[in-house]
Amino acid sequence: MKNGSWITQTGSSTYLSEATAIWLRDLRGEFRTRYAVNAILMFAVTTLVAVSFSIGSFRIGEAEQPFLYAVLLWIILVFSALSGLSRSFVKEEEAGTMDVLKLSARPQAVFLGKLWFNLTLLGALELIVVPSFILLMNYEIKHPGLFTAMVITGGFGLGAGTTIVAAMIAQASARGALFSVLSFPLLLPLMITAIKGCEKAAVGMNGTGWPEVRIAVAYSTVMIIMSLFLFPLIWDE
Amino acid sequence: MIVKVLLTVWMGVVIAAAFLYAESAAGFPGETSRILFFHVPQAWVATLSFLLSMIASCIFLARRRVKADHLALAAAEMGLLFCILATASGSIFARATWGSFWNWDPRETSIVILLMIYGAYFALRSAVPDAEKRRVFAGVFSILAFVTVPFLVFVVPRITASLHPENTMNPAKPGMDPKTLKVFLGSLIAYTGLFVWMLRLKIRLLRLEGSRDPEIVEGEME
Repeated sequence: MKNGSWITQTGSSTYLSEATAIWLRDLRGEFRTRYAVNAILMFAVTTLVAVSFSIGSFRIGEAEQPFLYAVLLWIILVFSALSGLSRSFVKEEEAGTMDVLKLSARPQAVFLGKLWFNLTLLGALELIVVPSFILLMNYEIKHPGLFTAMVITGGFGLGAGTTIVAAMIAQASARGALFSVLSFPLLLPLMITAIKGCEKAAVGMNGTGWPEVRIAVAYSTVMIIMSLFLFPLIWDE
Repeated sequence: MIVKVLLTVWMGVVIAAAFLYAESAAGFPGETSRILFFHVPQAWVATLSFLLSMIASCIFLARRRVKADHLALAAAEMGLLFCILATASGSIFARATWGSFWNWDPRETSIVILLMIYGAYFALRSAVPDAEKRRVFAGVFSILAFVTVPFLVFVVPRITASLHPENTMNPAKPGMDPKTLKVFLGSLIAYTGLFVWMLRLKIRLLRLEGSRDPEIVEGEME
């Protein structure tokens, strides 16, 4: 804020600085209301407790564990994310701040800011859910490096695939249900990949080149690039 | 009008030939191989219309002509219809030859994902009240969904290792009976003709519905 004026600031702003400003603003708002965090984390914790309580850590046989636990973990992660990630855009619509946001930043910057915010939420979600899941279910992982990489890149893909859908459903009716309905078919290839990667990590099949991690990275890249192209179309309407 | 009559006659001839003229292929229980004349053209039309819908969506997003959106919507509806037909007929064949209605064969997996994508497409269309917005969103979603489809090739385990019969049923490979090939190609033409005819009907219907809506008339007048 040179000269204490906002105008000079926005006049010389870049995509990156605009996106960062939106990201920080959303984070600040989230710290005050904790709406999205509460929704996502409570959903995740509830499902986790339900799964752990009903299955327990000895019900599924040794041989089946790597695969079935990976399935359960990713179902919890995907549906928790779908329960709250749409907040990033829905809250703008509800608060009536959509138009101001359209005036104050370029569409791609808005998209990037919201993407980072969603990725931050997903990071927090995984940081809490994945260790608790491993502890509660006694999930034995032979190759922690691959497992960590899969969880991180998979979470990244979740954010990359759903942010633009959130922007669309914020302007539609029946938002809550619609977000899951639209996102799920887009996320399915990523989810199957992540399950396979986590299963391999648990069994200890290190393999060469971690193909699942690479698919998740490619998926995220493609979705982000397509979103950057398509986002201005749905934002300027 | 004449097209409609020709199409009816042609379709009738193909159906009769499928059961009377062509011989059932060896290696399949009973007469089950005759599914080739119905199931494969249905799947072909489903794929064709999905592709058409995506291309029309791109054209709409670039040019903003309501016509292109009508084509995208009509093609998606036809695609969904033929997709359901192909799934149902394939499922009956699966029961007769592989022993169960559903096996998560790679092609069954991909068709389920296609069905889900188009289910979501129509859910989105019905949830956006503003007409212009609805068209843009539908187009954007269509492209996004199309982009994720290639990832299935990596994901679905060895997409070529399918239960689907290849050598006797795939016209691109040698080993198909000439009579079978003739009827198959005839059926392919019949189904494609049926698709084009239904598609044009649907587009006309959409245009008539649109002319009642003052918002859309504006877009139509150019």
